[in-house]
Amino acid sequence: MKVDADGFSFDFTDALDAFVFDEKDKTKPTYHGQPMKAVDIIAEFPDAYIFVEMKDFNDPAAYDTKDFSTEDELNAKRDCFKWLKNYLKYKYRDSYLFRHAEEKVDKPIHYICLLTFDNALNTAMRKALQNELPVGLASKRWKHEIVKSCQVVNVAKWNENFPKWPVRHASTGRA
Amino acid sequence: MLEKIKFEKFTAFEKLEVKFSPGINIFVGENGTGKTHILKAAYAACDIAKSKGGFAEKINNVFYPSGKQIGRLVKRSSTSSKGFVEISRKIDEKSINLRLSLSNHTARPENSRVSGSTKAWLEAPFEAAYIPVKDMMANAPGFRSLYEEREIHFEEIYVDIIRKAFLPALKGPTDGKRKKLLELLQDAMDGKVVAKNEEFFLRNRHGELEFTLLAEGLRKLGLLWVLIQNGTLLNGSALFWDEPETNLNPKLMKAIVGILLELQRIGVQIFLTTHDYVILKEFDLQSQADDKIFFHSLFRNGESGEIERSTTSNYLDIAPNAIDDTFGSIVDREIEKSMEGLGK
Repeated sequence: MKVDADGFSFDFTDALDAFVFDEKDKTKPTYHGQPMKAVDIIAEFPDAYIFVEMKDFNDPAAYDTKDFSTEDELNAKRDCFKWLKNYLKYKYRDSYLFRHAEEKVDKPIHYICLLTFDNALNTAMRKALQNELPVGLASKRWKHEIVKSCQVVNVAKWNENFPKWPVRHASTGRA
Repeated sequence: MLEKIKFEKFTAFEKLEVKFSPGINIFVGENGTGKTHILKAAYAACDIAKSKGGFAEKINNVFYPSGKQIGRLVKRSSTSSKGFVEISRKIDEKSINLRLSLSNHTARPENSRVSGSTKAWLEAPFEAAYIPVKDMMANAPGFRSLYEEREIHFEEIYVDIIRKAFLPALKGPTDGKRKKLLELLQDAMDGKVVAKNEEFFLRNRHGELEFTLLAEGLRKLGLLWVLIQNGTLLNGSALFWDEPETNLNPKLMKAIVGILLELQRIGVQIFLTTHDYVILKEFDLQSQADDKIFFHSLFRNGESGEIERSTTSNYLDIAPNAIDDTFGSIVDREIEKSMEGLGK
């Protein structure tokens, strides 16, 4: 099942359904149309859903808070990193709410962010997101999870870990 | 300036060629891919230009094979074999080579063969310093004389760096660029270095602290300070540094990388190995358009098992990147653990 979005082409070969979630085309049945943030793609499988959000960045260094030359630079980077983390967090939460209203949160949901960072920076982003989404049964009062797991990967790691869902850059064809 | 190095059946290498950047050369790769061997061989060639010693003997002293049998530096194989290491250097736009050829039966350095432009090589001396992984500054007292008088099992790089550290300060006033570098280091280590009776001390407003009581990371900064102050690191010098990150607080790495970039800008050619993400990223972040940085990745070919190299000037294009691959394996294990085979 092929889906193109935000400059990437996916093929979810074993999906029951896969579509652009933030669909802007009013003629399509998957038109989103609500003043809520939305992840790029949702795919459904027999025992799970995945929510996918992609970002192709020109300057990964802008988000790397481990490296800085001045305090101002560190603060600017922290702001960038925090902005991106919040962006990814609220996209998921709004998407979850939308799907809740659709009665489509009946299976565990995995959130996968495809970012063009190195693994080190993706690992830092995953840690921050995992704590804030939050992943799993975070509260003792919860009866079910908002999100089962959260992964942050680059294109190479995506293809290594999800061979049934190959992805490439749509315009260039590069993997 | 060193241009390239070639190995054939030498130590860990079956066949390898590395073209150097005239600026900074950063070697990454897993343990056992020969990063340190490249540094040691290149350093040996630099050192003899100044010391006027024999290349074979220097290589033997720097690598220190068992029993000092130089033939043991030939890559191991089941049959009799020959190997060489060849280094190319540019002097006034002209390239000259120095080659050491030997067989696994060569017992002593004098029985190996040194060829190439040996005369021209020795006629154009320049300074080179090799900073080993283990700090030697605190062990300096008496080490030099012990090394001269006794056969002790230490590679010569350890005594060489102590010899360089004890060189007296350059005559005349310190020029602006060197002064700036010294000040950067003084800020990072909160003091300056003084030597008394073969012992080093860090002097600051609290007094003098002997190096044995100083954190090892600060001793490294102290060593760099001394090498800049005494003129070992000047335009045209070469600096070899094996794993600068060892025992260094990550906060100090920003300063170290900034200083290495400045040294390169004044004309010091730099060679370093690292296993550290922060060091690598600091070079990526702090470098400017005119800086000449090569990232050399050493890796074993999956089929042949032999060591190969890929070189890039762009941090994100380092492939394979043994340092980031470590983070990559964490990503893999997280996915494996929490997604239970979905998408596989």
